[in-house]
Amino acid sequence: MKGLLQGLGVTLKTMTQKKVTYAYPDVPLTMPDRFRGIQHFEPDKCIVCNMCVKVCPTECISLTGKANPDPEKKGKVIETYDINFEICILCDLCTEVCPTEAVVMTNHFELSTYSRDDLFKDMKWLTDNNTLVRKENNYAFPRGGAKKDV
Amino acid sequence: MLDLVGQPLTWTHTLIFAAYGVLLLLIILGFVTYAIYFERKVIGWMQGRYGPNRTGPFGLLQTVADVFKLLIKEDTIPRKADRPLFILAPVITFIPSFVVVATIPFTANLIHADLNVGLLYYVALSGISTIGMILGGWASNNKYALLGGMRSAAQMISYEVPLVISVIGVIMMTGTLNLHKIVEAQGDNFWNWNFLPQIVGFIVFMIAGVSELNRTPFDLPEAESELVAGYHVEYSGFRFAFFMLAEYVYVFAIASLTTVLFLGGWHAPFALLAFIPGIVWFLLKFSIIVFFFFWIRATMPRIRIDQLMGLGWKVLLPLALLNIFITAIYMGITA
Repeated sequence: MKGLLQGLGVTLKTMTQKKVTYAYPDVPLTMPDRFRGIQHFEPDKCIVCNMCVKVCPTECISLTGKANPDPEKKGKVIETYDINFEICILCDLCTEVCPTEAVVMTNHFELSTYSRDDLFKDMKWLTDNNTLVRKENNYAFPRGGAKKDV
Repeated sequence: MLDLVGQPLTWTHTLIFAAYGVLLLLIILGFVTYAIYFERKVIGWMQGRYGPNRTGPFGLLQTVADVFKLLIKEDTIPRKADRPLFILAPVITFIPSFVVVATIPFTANLIHADLNVGLLYYVALSGISTIGMILGGWASNNKYALLGGMRSAAQMISYEVPLVISVIGVIMMTGTLNLHKIVEAQGDNFWNWNFLPQIVGFIVFMIAGVSELNRTPFDLPEAESELVAGYHVEYSGFRFAFFMLAEYVYVFAIASLTTVLFLGGWHAPFALLAFIPGIVWFLLKFSIIVFFFFWIRATMPRIRIDQLMGLGWKVLLPLALLNIFITAIYMGITA
């Protein structure tokens, strides 16, 4: 009986308190910095090592490379880099494995579209997706050739 | 209105009565629309949310949109359902809920039917709705619907008993079943109202009333998480809307009845405030009771079926009976 009255008191008090909801579609949500969002890709850093393609558990990444157009340099440069967000699970493995931090996570997460075709993102789109890039990348594995700015 | 009822029935009078009925129906539809809106708002606030606020200013058109969606929905009847009964069930549920409103006196002059057995009329007709629910559950040919209908029947019949017995104290004190006279017998000050001498009856009546309305914490017939939806699983579109409508019209009816029986109807709480029109006081008390129903719903968890039956038969019924005896003894001593 006392509990019932206590409960009524709690609900009555909550009525006038500050609301806890987000005004999400009106006001963008700011995600914490280690959020796993849509990838940002920097073609200049990529060394076409194919690690991200191999590690991807859903095989949503596909890339092609070509020989470096500068004949004095060795290695390859990236030609196409596509991520299929129909199946990408944003697991962060591609960005963990990338030795040069060419592919990194951002805080963007809005992927809903009217057509599934829109979910196939190419290199240009991923390169232009350059806002809200995660500041800390692979901080647990700082070896490799990447220059850290943290 | 009352003198019109006394005169012989002519075509003009029939038209006036029909127009009056339509007007009352529109008022009740308006009430139901905004009762649902405020229910969602109040529950939202009590859970730290805003409630509906996207459709129209402050979300005021949310229920309108919901009802419109229900009305334009395809009307489906399951192939194996008992078609005539399936169609009849929402009608049987809704009509008594609307008809009982006729006997409720809103103010000293705004009375639709001054029955000398008003209370009995209310109780008798509201019992018919249960038949509609169990019929809907049975005609759907669906086990969840049938279970919901059975639970509904068991619950409504169990709680009808304490509900009726709890108001007998009021009837004994007033000496009439006429709702208008019951209000008049309660004085102009709030300590003359029935809820103080009949406090036990009032509490039993409120609990049994919530249960009659199938509202939380007694919403077992419609327990979403246990029975999919209850007796109206197979209903969609405007037939479902009628079940919902009946439910909320009963909220209107029970809140009005509580106001009339226990809270002094249109009387002001203090005699010196009597210059404010009675309808304001009626609406105020009525709104407080409706708010109380929402408040209860936002607070209480659903109770188990055995607890429900135990509460009804072992607690409320003896309390209501005790209330009658105490009232009788008190009246015997003072008389």
